[in-house]
Amino acid sequence: MRRPGRPPTSKLIIFAVLAFFLLWWVPFSHILPGWVPLGLGTYRTYQASMIAMWAIVALGLNILTGYNGQISLGHGAFVAVGGYTAAILMVDYGWPFPLTIVLAGVIAGTLGFLIGIPALRLTGPYLAIATLGLALATPQVLKKYDGLTHGTQGINVRSEVSDQVGVLSDFMDDVFGIHLNDDQWVYFLALFIALLMVVLAVNIVRSRIGRAFVAIRDSEIAAQAMGISVPRYKTMAFAISAFYGGIAGGTYAQVVGFVSPESFNFLLSINFLTTIVVGGLASILGSVLGAAGLIVVPEMPGLVSFIPGAGLPDELSWAFYGAALILVMVFAPYGLAGLFHRFVRWVSSWPAAWRAGILAGLVLGVVARVVAGELAGAGVGLVLGLVAFCAITAWIWGPALTRAGAGGYSRSVEALRGIRSSSGQTGAGSEDGSSENHPDAER
Amino acid sequence: MEEFWQQMVTGLATGSVYGLLALAIVLIYRSTTVLNFAQGEMAMFTTFMAWTMLHWGHYWIVFPLVLLMAAAMGGFIELVIIRRVEGGPILNIIIVTLGLFAILNNVATWRWGGIPKAFPAPPEIQVTGIRFFGEGALDIGPTVVSYHDLTILVFAVGIMAALYLFFQYTPLGLAMRATAQNPIASRLMGIRVGRMLAVGWALSAAVGAVAGMLIANLILLQPPMMMGVLLYAFAAAVLGGLDSPVGAIVGGLIIGITENLVGTYTPQDVLGPDMKLTVTLIIIVLVLLVRPTGIFGKRAMRRV
Repeated sequence: MRRPGRPPTSKLIIFAVLAFFLLWWVPFSHILPGWVPLGLGTYRTYQASMIAMWAIVALGLNILTGYNGQISLGHGAFVAVGGYTAAILMVDYGWPFPLTIVLAGVIAGTLGFLIGIPALRLTGPYLAIATLGLALATPQVLKKYDGLTHGTQGINVRSEVSDQVGVLSDFMDDVFGIHLNDDQWVYFLALFIALLMVVLAVNIVRSRIGRAFVAIRDSEIAAQAMGISVPRYKTMAFAISAFYGGIAGGTYAQVVGFVSPESFNFLLSINFLTTIVVGGLASILGSVLGAAGLIVVPEMPGLVSFIPGAGLPDELSWAFYGAALILVMVFAPYGLAGLFHRFVRWVSSWPAAWRAGILAGLVLGVVARVVAGELAGAGVGLVLGLVAFCAITAWIWGPALTRAGAGGYSRSVEALRGIRSSSGQTGAGSEDGSSENHPDAER
Repeated sequence: MEEFWQQMVTGLATGSVYGLLALAIVLIYRSTTVLNFAQGEMAMFTTFMAWTMLHWGHYWIVFPLVLLMAAAMGGFIELVIIRRVEGGPILNIIIVTLGLFAILNNVATWRWGGIPKAFPAPPEIQVTGIRFFGEGALDIGPTVVSYHDLTILVFAVGIMAALYLFFQYTPLGLAMRATAQNPIASRLMGIRVGRMLAVGWALSAAVGAVAGMLIANLILLQPPMMMGVLLYAFAAAVLGGLDSPVGAIVGGLIIGITENLVGTYTPQDVLGPDMKLTVTLIIIVLVLLVRPTGIFGKRAMRRV
């Protein structure tokens, strides 16, 4: 019973993610040379690919931690399994990379299922530390059993990747006349996989399975009373989440072209958790925003130093990153996605004439900057881009968001406080799934 | 057999340090249910402050001063940063402590540099002819024990006892226990709950500072030095039960000993010293599967 004219929220999310990658990155190639995959910098292309890869892990971890309420500090292990599966299959057995990525996901998913079984006994911080143990053990295991993993030296897959991508790039060049270099193809492949995984995640979250996950997170006992098999869905969450990790690992092998035990140390796993909390728990958009934030922010001192008088010494970039983490948590407790939703709600509360005026002004301003080539600083361009993107989204989709998505969003995240005290609040209905069934529940 | 005892004693000493840091973690967890990932870096930071101050003063003058400074730092962090996110989602507070981790680590590297520095052991004291602390080794029958290992053990037991007395027999300790048990009821009884939390952080930072200064003598003083120790301390705290101070120390000792024995007595080609961390972690997980809230932890009861 969907009201006519209301865009389905899942499509909104896909739109937003797509828009983020395409709208934000592409039109600003003039303002920020090298900040766009089709621009100049190999390093920036690589960074964009890394964002796609991190977004995949974040999606998986968000399904486990955000939607199902099981904290994992060991997702680096699944990424490692995926990365090594892909690398070994490509180098030692000469498999084509799409197959290696699929198998990486399957093997990691199986491992996740096996780990999900003992994890049923543990909750909260105990589970967090037990999974942290998994992350700690990973590099040591990879180093020790070097017959399979090539030991400390790691595996270099760069030549295999460029051979296989070269076939694709030649084909596209001959048939469609598209000229892109290897790095750019790798970026678009990573982006394609990430979008596929976003669509999959949206569908999981909004299906019976996703609703079961959320019900278990909010109250295991209530979920059980409703006939949901708690062990079955909790292990399933682990398996799905690890599958995402494996796919991301396979992508990692393509993007970086090299896997070694030290690529997968425990800090990586902690950073994955940081990604989803900073991005926004139980939010698909948040997973992507968090991934972008976590890759870009540690480099921000360099960006900030474009603005005169705002430079930071390079040695303090980690302190800057730490301070950014704290500030986000203090001022945006529901992460970047929460901030985004708040902003959209605020903008959509303006009179339509204002919105149109400001939007037009922004677009004109950006165009004027591009045309005039006047560039006050890279930071200004970034901020303008983000504001314009938010304004456009709010303009088109804002009313729908306020009605269904946003209200339910913050309430379901509220229910995550159930993780805090073991006496979780019961009955905090999740709007994530149920809004499909009762579109008028908010009214 | 001699090697066995040697490994046991070394394990006890390093285990005590893990236990001390685990104790600091438990002190914060008990009152706020926060896993403080910055605990190790706070200890590292105070140890660097101690290192600077040792250029000017004698160890036994610097030591209490550093404890005071650590306590001030802990209280300050709670008041200025943690308080802003308290009451929010638990994962947010964990991320804030990770932010603190990055800041403290980075500032220490920036201020003191990454080159490892030697840190002195507590100098010896003679009390009625018996020697305490200092360097050197002591022959105790089956094996030889270094004085510093004994010092660490004495500190761990001493701090444990002092904390026990503090929590059991002082009004402040009682108020802190009440806050940990039921913050709302405590507030209704007139306890300044916020202040208690700040005191908890201060206490925890001071305990961590002791752990930092003691371990800095064994592993050289450098910014990343506490990272490994912190992970062992987390494991110790979880093994013993996150709400049990005694459990933290016992968990630390068990982990210290297990780690050394696994490194020495498992087949070198399959496991051996490279895998001692992994095997120790597997053992911890196995224990947790039997007792999901640790050895001394209380089973969480839930009203439905």
